[in-house]
Formats: sequence, structure tokens, C-alpha cells
Amino acid sequence: MSAAIETTELTRRFKRHLAVDAVSMTVPEQAVYGFLGRNGAGKTTTLKMLLGLIRPSGGTARICGVDVGSDRLGAARKAGALLEAHGFYGNLSGRENLDLTRCLIGLPRTEIDRVLEVVEMSEHAGRRVSDYSLGMRQRLGLARAMLGAPPVLILDEPTNGLDPDGIADMRRFLGELPARTGATVLLSSHLLGEIEQTATHVGIIHQGRLVLEGELARLKAEMVPEIGVETDDPARAAELAASRGFTVARSTDRVVASLKPGEDARAAAAALNRALVEADIAVFAIGPRARTLEGIYRDVSAPTPAQPLMQPEHV
Amino acid sequence: MSAAPFFAPFAVEARKLNRSLAALLAVAAPSLIAVFGFFMLLRSGRSATWDMWMTSAAGVWAFFMLPMSVTALTALVAHMEHGPRSWDHLRALPAPRWRLYAAKAVAVVTVVALMSVATLAMNGAAISLAGAIKPEFAPTGPFNLATYAELMGKIFLASLLMIALQLWTALRFASFVPGLVLGIGGTFFAVVATSAKEGVFLPWQMPVNMMASDAWRVDTALGLGCGLGLVAFALMTIHLSRREVL
Repeated sequence: MSAAIETTELTRRFKRHLAVDAVSMTVPEQAVYGFLGRNGAGKTTTLKMLLGLIRPSGGTARICGVDVGSDRLGAARKAGALLEAHGFYGNLSGRENLDLTRCLIGLPRTEIDRVLEVVEMSEHAGRRVSDYSLGMRQRLGLARAMLGAPPVLILDEPTNGLDPDGIADMRRFLGELPARTGATVLLSSHLLGEIEQTATHVGIIHQGRLVLEGELARLKAEMVPEIGVETDDPARAAELAASRGFTVARSTDRVVASLKPGEDARAAAAALNRALVEADIAVFAIGPRARTLEGIYRDVSAPTPAQPLMQPEHV
Repeated sequence: MSAAPFFAPFAVEARKLNRSLAALLAVAAPSLIAVFGFFMLLRSGRSATWDMWMTSAAGVWAFFMLPMSVTALTALVAHMEHGPRSWDHLRALPAPRWRLYAAKAVAVVTVVALMSVATLAMNGAAISLAGAIKPEFAPTGPFNLATYAELMGKIFLASLLMIALQLWTALRFASFVPGLVLGIGGTFFAVVATSAKEGVFLPWQMPVNMMASDAWRVDTALGLGCGLGLVAFALMTIHLSRREVL
């Protein structure tokens, strides 16, 4: 599978702040690539560099093989974007808004009906955008991004501000996009659940660095498995699990024991269960847990520990 | 190569004005001068020439209404993009960015030109109407359309530098404030220093200098306003299309 989007050592510095630090990402063709990170992690800055809106301090970005830095117009022809700020003119109707963009990029009028149909907005297209709900504006934004059927769609936080129904609707829509349009979708978000249910691939950016990237199913399979335990005494259970060599995380009512790579989760769960019962700890539930994107995210984007304070030198 | 890509951004700008506050302003400002002229004639108590009524209207336009209208118009036109934060969308499109800014400039200059024509036409109509209501005060003498049009044309050309500076500021800053401060400040100094010799070099006073009796003031203000205005529009287009909008 070739790359629809590829960056090499992409870097952007704002004065002394390094917003994006040598990001090398690869988005395969026809993937739904979830670009994850906290607010301020560098997602939007990376997307803006992909769209040629800001210049990188270093590195390169390519859209369908076209270098954004040396041929912005060529790269822009390959990508449609839905940015966080929609930029619609509230005094005009949805159709009129789409027509302005269509006119600027020189597409035939039939394009408007096509994209309105894809986002199921045909019947509302005559209304003023100022009367639209946020969900309708997001759909209209998607329609605008799809004008001219670009092979790559770059969507910045498309579910931001939507209500639960709107999020579910958008999720379904985004999941179907590659099949319906043949496009590759790069989707930025800080909502793990949204990405987990939509994306085929993920990239996690943390403090400007791409800390993990790959096919979501493969990443989940490759990650070290865990055993979840619910007992009447989580503190003792955690202590016991740690003494048997597990890496343990504990919440108020549950203990999560991480296995070593290659260890058989079922056998380890049985052995731990036996040890807990023998230690007279009541076990309510125990079993291997499937790794979630949230778990993966937490593993790779744990806050950087603060540097220890310098010891004053003795004089 | 088709000329359509060059006209498309301008057509788009024209369509954005549809049902906008900027369009309302473009109608309101000339109307106010016409309304003023209408009531002035009704309460004048004596008859005056067409020249007096039409040059008075041109004076009000050049002295105050034009600088204030340009300040408001450029702020509103720029805010159409700043408000919904549409610059990112526009600048990410596969179209040269300079055309977006050049189209904005052409649109604003066209609107000001149309406002100038409207001022002339509406004032003529308002004075005629008032003269019909009170025939004893109806304007006398010939109606020299060519003379009035030439004067308004010169006022318009001399205002190009002011329009360029106002538009440049309004597009550069997302906030209304810098553009308004510049426009209000420029108009203030133009009003309080009307007779100052140096006023001819102040962009906000260049239009009203088209009514000066000294030929050098007219020529200097017209040359600087028009010439430097075109240069300022070119520099604005280059600067804005190259700068990063963060």
C-alpha cells in the first residue's frame, strides 16, 4: 500500500517553542488515520503544514507524492480540508457557500449536488448557514472538503462540539467515507473513543513528537496484554501481584496487572487467581483484558516526569 | 489561457456582499447625504444653483462621509473572513493566494466607486424632489453632470491611497480596532487640519483637496492618492499573500 500522506522529520518552531518535533508519519492510501493527541500536542500545527498554511522550520510533507513546500498548489489539489473553524458566510445559504468555493477552484456546478448528496444535506442546502445546527455545519464542511473529489481528506476535530447523536452520526459517516468516495482520511482528534471506532490506523503525537504509529488492530495485538482483577482488598491484591513479577496499576476497586511480552494471558490469570485465593483475598472477577486505544495512548503519552531538582553544590 | 480564474475571485467577493452589512453600508452612506441635501433645500429659504447643491454634496462626501465609509466598509469586508475565521479555508484552496487579496481590493474599490456614483445620483434626485415639493427654492442654473462626475471621479481616485491603507490594516488584523483607530484618527486630523498646507500629504485629506482652489494641491493630492494608492495595493497583495496566518 503506498502513502497518501508522508512527512519526513517535519518540524515547526514558534520562537522558542517547538510545536512539532521531527514528525515522520505515513498515512496509507484509503486508510482512516486517526491523529491523536492532547490539546496543544501539535496536531493542528502538523495539519496546517500539510495544507501549506504554515511553513515548516524543517523537514518535508508530501500529499500523494507532491511536495507541499515546493508545489503548494499541486499538493492542495490532492487534498480537501475541514478545519476547526468552518469559515462559512452566515448570510449565505449552504449551497451558495459551496458555490463560492466551487467557483474559486473552477469546478463544474454539478459538483455541488454531488457532494450535498454524499453528506445527505441536499434538502437543507437552500437555508442560510446562520440557521444551521453545528452538526449541519460540520456536514457542510465535509461537503466542501469533498468538492472536486480530492484523494485525501484532512479533517481537524470533526466531532468537536457535536452532541452524542451528532458524534455517532459523524462516526458512521467517517467510517464509510473511504468506501463511498475512495478517499484517504486523516482525522485529528483528542477523543480516543471516536478514533477507536472509526480509524484503521493511528498516529499519536505527544509534546510535538509522533510517539506511536501503525495499524490500529496490529498495535492492539502487539501490545503487552493485561489482566484485570476485582477483589475485596485491592491493596493486598496489588502487593501480591507485584511480588509475583507483574507490573501493577491500581485504582480504588480494581487492579490491572501487565504481563510480560509473550506470556500466556490465560495461564497467568489462572496462576494469579490461585495465589489470590490462597492468600484469602476474595476475587470477584479476573481475566485477560483486550487492549484498548486508551491503554495504548496512556502507555505512550505518559507525562514526562519532572526533572529532579539539582542538588546544590557543596562549596 | 482562460481569463475566468482571474475573474472568479472577484465574482466570489461580489457574491459575498449579498445580504451583508457592507452592502447595507454602501447604500446607507450616499442615502444620508441625499437625505441631508433634501432637507437642507426644504429649509433653505432661498434658491441656489445646481452647482452649489452638487458641490456641497461632493464636499460632504469627500470631507467626512468617504473616509468614515471607507473605514467601516474595509472593516466589514475584512470581518467577513475574520469573523468566521475563513482565511485558513481560503488559503488552503488550490488557487494562488494573491488573487484572493487582489479580489478583495478590487471589490472594495468597486464598491467605493459605486458609492460615489450613488452619491451623485441620489443627491441629484433628492434635490430635484425637494425642488418639486418647494418650487420657489428649486435649484437654478444648468446641471453640469460632466463637471460633477469629473469632481467625484477625482475624489475617488485621490482616495485610493486611503482605501489601500485602510483595507491593508483591516485584512492584516483580525480585530476591528486597528482599522477603526486608523480611520477615525485619519479623519479626525483631516477635519481639524483642513487648511494646513501639509494636509495635502495626509491620505484622509487627499479626497477633499480635489475641491481646493490651488491647482498644486489638487494635482499633488490626486497624483499621490492615485499613484501611491496603486503601489500600496500591490504591496498589500504581496505582503498578505506571503505572510503566515497563525
